[in-house]
Amino acid sequence: MGSTDIQLLQRRVRRTYELARLRRALVGVLPIVVVTAIATLLASRPAPPLTFGLATALMGAMMLWHGRDPQKAFLPGVIAGLVPLALALGTGALHTCGTANCSSLCLPACVLGGVIAGMAVSGVSFQRRAGPWFWVSASGLALLTGAMGCACMGTSGVVGLGMGFGAGIVPGLLRRVFGQKAS
Amino acid sequence: MNVRTVSELDALMARLAEGDRVAFTRVFELLWGPIQKLCLSLLRNEADAADAGQEAMHKILERASDFDKTRPAMPWALAIAGWECRTLARRRERRRESHTDAIPSCAGPHAEEEFLQRDLTTAAMAALGELSELDREVLIATFWDEAASVSGATLRKRRERALDRLRKTFRRLYGLD
Repeated sequence: MGSTDIQLLQRRVRRTYELARLRRALVGVLPIVVVTAIATLLASRPAPPLTFGLATALMGAMMLWHGRDPQKAFLPGVIAGLVPLALALGTGALHTCGTANCSSLCLPACVLGGVIAGMAVSGVSFQRRAGPWFWVSASGLALLTGAMGCACMGTSGVVGLGMGFGAGIVPGLLRRVFGQKAS
Repeated sequence: MNVRTVSELDALMARLAEGDRVAFTRVFELLWGPIQKLCLSLLRNEADAADAGQEAMHKILERASDFDKTRPAMPWALAIAGWECRTLARRRERRRESHTDAIPSCAGPHAEEEFLQRDLTTAAMAALGELSELDREVLIATFWDEAASVSGATLRKRRERALDRLRKTFRRLYGLD
């Protein structure tokens, strides 16, 4: 077999490898599709969870296809994101009424969920001594998953989730930075 | 294959399973030789061995992401290649059997035409075998409509020359164009 043929074969085999990874990735994001369907059914407005769900599935598929740190961050990211999603969907129907007006519990639930998700992501990253790509991938996926539920309050819900998440990862980041300096 | 190469392959295969594409070329290089050797020893025919080897490489790299890092890579790859060789051998055997069965039914008005066509193809293949590697590559690429290593005017010139040589060889061997 000539060198040209071997190069051609190598290219074809590489394509097979990439397609196999893509197939695996698409199968891997099926749970996200199920979660998106549930969130869409439970939400009062179906469009935001559907949009964020599609974005989550797309990002998840890319992470699984790419492999390495983003692939390892997939499961922690989704699980961390399920906390604000569940809290937001659970409190979506609840609201507290004062003397003047009523307010939804969605926003506080999103902030609290964001804090828990942030702490979970930073905890896992610290435990695994993960690199920056793990942090970025897990955080992105957790935020997108959580946003499926937090979009109940529109932009403010998503911003609340982001702020809560940011606050949640601060202790982990500090521990990582100071831990590295100490060692 | 020495111990160092075996452990290199194990490490590279584990990296490839995790999605590290940098390891791909080296994994391919380390696997291709032993797989070709295995297929040749099992099938005892270069063309069949090449077919089975290529198919095996596709299967191995298709399953690379499922590779169990705790297991050695070479036996795993060779097992897939061995299976591929057996499948190809079985398929060829079945085709040969069905071909033998089909011969009596060919004895119709078109049978002679078919035999002549087969003889002509065999003669053309023999004439092609007399040509240089380069001429063969150009003609095969033309026949299968594949991309050759060159293109444009160079390819046209090469094709012309190769066809001329094929014609001369055919005339020399069989006395006709």
